[in-house]
Amino acid sequence: MQESAWGWLIITYLFLAGAGSGAFIAAVACDLLAPDWSKALARAGSLVAGPLVVIGTLCLALDLEAGFWQPWRQVYMVNNLRSMISWGFIILSIFIPIALVYAAALNEITFVGKLAQKYITIIEIIGSIFAVATATYTGVLIAVVNGVPFWNTPLMPVLFLASAISTGLAAAMILAAIIDVNTIKTLSNFALGHVIFLSVEALVLMLLVFMSLTRSTEAAASAGMLISGMLSPYFWGLVVILGLVVPFILSVFEFLEYGQMPKALVVGADILVLIGGMSIRALIVFSGTPPQII
Amino acid sequence: MPRYGIAIDITKCIGCHSCRVACQNQNSLESNETFNWIKHRDRGRYPSYDKEFIPLQCNHCENAPCQRVCPTGATYTTKEGIVLVNPKTCVGCKYCMEACPYKMRIIDHRRGIVEKCRLCIELVRDGGTPACVTTCPTQVRLFGDLDDPKSAVSVFIAKTGSQPLRPDLGTIPKIFYKRS
Ligand code: SF4
Ligand code: SF4
Repeated sequence: MQESAWGWLIITYLFLAGAGSGAFIAAVACDLLAPDWSKALARAGSLVAGPLVVIGTLCLALDLEAGFWQPWRQVYMVNNLRSMISWGFIILSIFIPIALVYAAALNEITFVGKLAQKYITIIEIIGSIFAVATATYTGVLIAVVNGVPFWNTPLMPVLFLASAISTGLAAAMILAAIIDVNTIKTLSNFALGHVIFLSVEALVLMLLVFMSLTRSTEAAASAGMLISGMLSPYFWGLVVILGLVVPFILSVFEFLEYGQMPKALVVGADILVLIGGMSIRALIVFSGTPPQII
Repeated sequence: MPRYGIAIDITKCIGCHSCRVACQNQNSLESNETFNWIKHRDRGRYPSYDKEFIPLQCNHCENAPCQRVCPTGATYTTKEGIVLVNPKTCVGCKYCMEACPYKMRIIDHRRGIVEKCRLCIELVRDGGTPACVTTCPTQVRLFGDLDDPKSAVSVFIAKTGSQPLRPDLGTIPKIFYKRS
C-alpha cells in the first residue's frame, strides 16, 4: 500500500506543461492585441513555450518505468480514450510541434520559420486551442482520480489553467527582459495580465481549499493540511504570500507607474509567480489523501 | 461464466500473516512485496477492549477506476471478473495506483510495471482456490461464485449481511467483509 505514487517528476511536468502552454498564449496575445508595441514579449513567449513543454514531457517519460526502458511500449499509450493520459499523449503530440514552429516563425529561424510566417494566424489560432487544452488537461488528469478525493473537483482544471497563464506570462516576461532591455516599459502593460490572472487564481484556490473542508472527510483532511496542518507553512508562505500576494502588489505598481519600476522588481515579481506555480502543484500532489477504507 | 469473489470474516482473523506469505510464495514475490495487507484497528477501551484485524487485497472492482484510467489498456477484466495487469503492455505510469481508492496496487521496480492481487487465476481456472484462501489457519476467507446463490460465499454473505469496504465509493468491489 502506498500513499502517493507520483512525486517531483510529475509535479515538474504539471508545472512546465502549464508554464509552456501559458507562454504560448501570452505570446499570441501580445502578437495579436499589441502589434505596435515591442515584439520582445511575443518573441520571448514563443521561444520558451515549446522547450518548457518538451522538458516537462521528458520528466513525464522519465517517471515511466517499463515504458521508459522499452520506449516502444509507449505506442500503447493511446489505447484507452477514457484515460486522460491517452488524451495528454495526443494533445502533446500536436501541441509541441506547433509551439516549435511558432517560435521559428516569430523569430525567423531557418526556412521553416520563413515558410510558417505565411500561415502565422492559423498557427496562432490552432496553437492557442491546443495550449488551452494542454494547460487544462494537466488539471483534468488529476481531477478524475478517484483515489484522492481532494483532487476530485472541476475547480482543479480551472485552477491549473489560471496558474498556467500567469506562470507562462511570467516565463515570457523574464525572457523578454533578458533579450530586450528596453522593453521594460512595454512589459508594464502586461503586468495587467498578472493582476487579472493572479486574482482569478487566488479566487479559484480559495474556493477549492475552503469548499474541500465540507466536501468529504478525505478532502477536508487534505485542505486542513494546507490551511493549518503539516504543509501550512509552505502553503501560506510559498503559495499565498510569495506566489500570489507579493507579485500581485508588485504588478499593480508596475502597471500604475508605467515603466518606472526597477527592472529587478519587474523580473522579481515574475520569478515569484513561477515559484508559486511550482509550489501549488507540489502541495496539491503531496496533500492528496486516499479514502479511509477500514 | 462465474463471477468470483471472496468473503472475509474478520471476527476470525488472528493477524498471523499466513495469507501474505502464501501469496508471496504463489506469485514469487520478494519479501518486501505483497498483494495483501493486514491492518489493525482498536475497538473500545479497556476493559472492553478488542483489536480488529482487517485483511486487505485488491477488490476486483466491477467498476474499476484503475482500469478506467489505464492509458495502455494493460489493466483489464477477465471474463471471470478478475482484474489483471498485462505485464507486456504496462508502461509503469502509475496512474492506476493513484486512481485506486483502496491503494491496493504496488510498483515492481525490477520489471517496471504495476502489480496487484491476481486472485490466483491460474489456480482458479484449474478448479482450485486462491492461495490466501487455502492457507488461512482460521479459514477467514471463503472463495466462490457470487452469481451462484447456493455457493458457500453467497450463502455466507446473505446470512451475515457482509458488505464491501466503502461501497459508497461506487467501484462495486467483490471482496465482502463480515464485521462483528
Ligand atoms: S481495488 Fe483498486 S486495484 Fe483492485 S480493482 Fe478496485 S480499483 Fe482496481
Ligand atoms: S502503470 Fe501500467 S497498469 Fe497502471 S495505468 Fe499505467 S499502464 Fe496501466
